[in-house]
Formats: sequence, structure tokens, C-alpha cells
Amino acid sequence: MSYRQREPAAVPSKTSDGDRRSLDAFEQLYREHAGRIYALASRMAGSPDEGEDLLQDIFLQAYRKMDSFKGESSIGTWLYRLALNRCLDFVRSRQAKIGKRTDTLDDEHSIEPAARLDDTIARLDLERALARLPAGCREVFVLHDVEGFDHKEVGEMLGIAEGTSKSQVFKARMKLRAMLGSGRPG
Amino acid sequence: MHPGQQAISDLVDGALASDRHAEVERHLGSCVACRTLADELRAIHRAARALPAVEPPPDGWSRLEAAIEGPADGAEIHAPWWRLNRTQRAWLGIAAAVLFAAGVIVRLGPLAPVPAPPSAADAGAGSIETLESELRQAEEHYTKAISGLEQIASEGEGTLDPETAANLQKSLAVVDQAIDESRAAVRAEPGSEVAQTSLLDNFATKIALLQDTVALINEMRKGNDAEAAQIVSGLK
Repeated sequence: MSYRQREPAAVPSKTSDGDRRSLDAFEQLYREHAGRIYALASRMAGSPDEGEDLLQDIFLQAYRKMDSFKGESSIGTWLYRLALNRCLDFVRSRQAKIGKRTDTLDDEHSIEPAARLDDTIARLDLERALARLPAGCREVFVLHDVEGFDHKEVGEMLGIAEGTSKSQVFKARMKLRAMLGSGRPG
Repeated sequence: MHPGQQAISDLVDGALASDRHAEVERHLGSCVACRTLADELRAIHRAARALPAVEPPPDGWSRLEAAIEGPADGAEIHAPWWRLNRTQRAWLGIAAAVLFAAGVIVRLGPLAPVPAPPSAADAGAGSIETLESELRQAEEHYTKAISGLEQIASEGEGTLDPETAANLQKSLAVVDQAIDESRAAVRAEPGSEVAQTSLLDNFATKIALLQDTVALINEMRKGNDAEAAQIVSGLK
């Protein structure tokens, strides 16, 4: 999995606090990557508001850790990894409290769409449905189907078995199928 | 015979072994319902992969810039509101845990002493201490409060049905992992507000989970099945 985006004109380097040039370069980095990071954060959190808080945390952390960026990967990859870790940290904290990751799928086969799902799915419909997925399967779905990680990687990131990742993606897809199918003409 | 919906989802991911893959594909060739499901799951997968970036909030950069230009890490605390609030939240969390544990002790019997929360004067001493030292102090008190609650929970664990106990253990293991990772992040970057907040949040999460566990044990012991079921549903 790689994060491919155009590199900013310059990688910001903090030479001193409040350095205007450094802040300008960091603003450019923000403007180039904020949309991608915000999408990841709000989808993982299932809420634009929490995504906004995460976005701020991630870039604040990035600014403070900029000195640790050694150029071994692209700045976009480094930033994406940092964002992903922060989102995973957020998810783990929340999941630990509600313990939803151990859900079984025994009752899921009853979920059927109200109508045939069209081949083309409107982006906004999918975003809305995604936000309505239960915590647990939503994060796994975002990492696998949206971000493109494989089940093994998702399992390692979330501390779950590969089989659990598969079953959670299945659960999410079936719920999305039901949500996206309802209300559409048959 | 239908291959099962999970198998069709795995097929979409290319996650089936080759012989099973061929078997499911053969079935799709002759079963309209399963083929329709496979097509729809593929459509969802394709649409998800194609989701674009999202326009960030319009004031995102200005808020970030203000935060960057705020007080530097490691500086002495001269009452910046956001730091005092966070510290106060940490102490409140500890105090709540201690009060809760004390209430349980009265009902369930004597246990090892639970640490007392720091006084308001102690908390106020933040004006002359560094944030790192406050964090260490908070961690110490959280650890003691957690240890008291863990003792109560382990003594009453036999009261819980095995499935609930196993689920709680799994949840606790996840939060322990999160605490370990936050600790490592704080060690790597002691001045990081994000790492510090994350560590305190994880401690608070563990305390909340232990509190729920102890409350559940208490209700089970009293034979209050309805209340116990309510707590269990809150844990799901």
C-alpha cells in the first residue's frame, strides 16, 4: 500500500519556532494532503466532527515531529502513516470501551436489500451509508475497501485475526447493500 | 447448493483458494441470486475504492496555525486554558474512579487501599511544575486506581458468565495495548500533547471499562438480572 500524491515544492523544516517560511511550507503541505487525511479520519471515526478533531491532531503532531522525517519515504507516505496511526489509536480507544470487534455474524444473513442495487453507486449515498455502519465493521471496511489494505494488513493494524477482518468486511458490505438498496427503484 | 454469502464476499476479494474459487464461480454461472449478490458486492467495493478526498473544513488551516503558534511544549504552565482543562479532566477521572471503587468496597467488603486523589492544592501546583511531571503524577494515580479496580474485578470474575468474562478480557487486552502504545509514544516524544492526551484518554477508557465490570459483578451478585443485562448491552 502506498500513498501516491504530488510532492510539495519543499519539505518544511523547523528551524525555529514561529519561522514564517517553515510555516508557509507546512501550510502548503496541509493544503495538498488535508483532503485525503480528512477523508480517512472522518470515515474511520464515522463522523465529520470527530474527523475534524483528528485532522487537527494529526497535522499538529506532524508539525511537531517534522524533524523526525528523514526522507526515507515520501512526505505524503510519512504523513499518511502518521494519520493512520492516530486514527487507529482513536479507534482502539473507542473499541476498547464498547468491545464490538468480537461481534459474530450469526444474524447477518437476514439482511437483504429492499431493491436491486444499481451497478453505479452515488458517492454521497455511499458516504452517508458508511457513516451509519456500526463501529467495528466500519473501520475494517474503510481500511480494506476504501484504503486498499489487504486483510492481513488490516488484521495487524487492528489487532484482529485475518478471518475477523474478512467477516467484518462482509458484514459491512451486507449492511451497505441493504442501506443502498432501500429506496431505489426495483 | 449455494456457497454462502461470506464465500461470495471472499470471492470478490480474491481471497478464496483456487479450487474453492473455481467452485463458487461455477455456481455463479448457474445461480442468478448469487450472481446478483456478487455483482452488488463488487459494485460496493468499486465505489468504495473510488471514494475521493473530502474538502477539509474551511477554517481548518487557521485553527491549526493558531494551535502551532500556541505555547511551546515543555514550557512552564502559566494557566493556558487548554492545558489546565486537560489536567483537570485527568484528575477528575482519577477522582471518579477512586470514589467508585470506594463505593464498591463498602458494598463488597474490604480490599487493598485505593489511592486518594490529589487535593485541589496539589492539582493547582501545576503552575510551578512542568506538564511532564503532572503527567507522571496522573499516570501514577491512574495506575493505582486501576489496580484497585482490577482487584475487585478479578475477585468477582467467577460471578460472570464465561462469554461475558471472555469479551471483557478481550476488551481489556485491547485497551492495555493502546496504553502501551501511548506510553511508548510519550517516551519517544515526552512533550507531545497528542501522545499525552492519548495516554490519559486510554487510562480513562480502562477505568470506565473496569467500572462497568465491577458494576456488572455487583448486579449479578444482587441477582438483578435486568440491571445486569442493561450493563452488558452497554458494553456491546
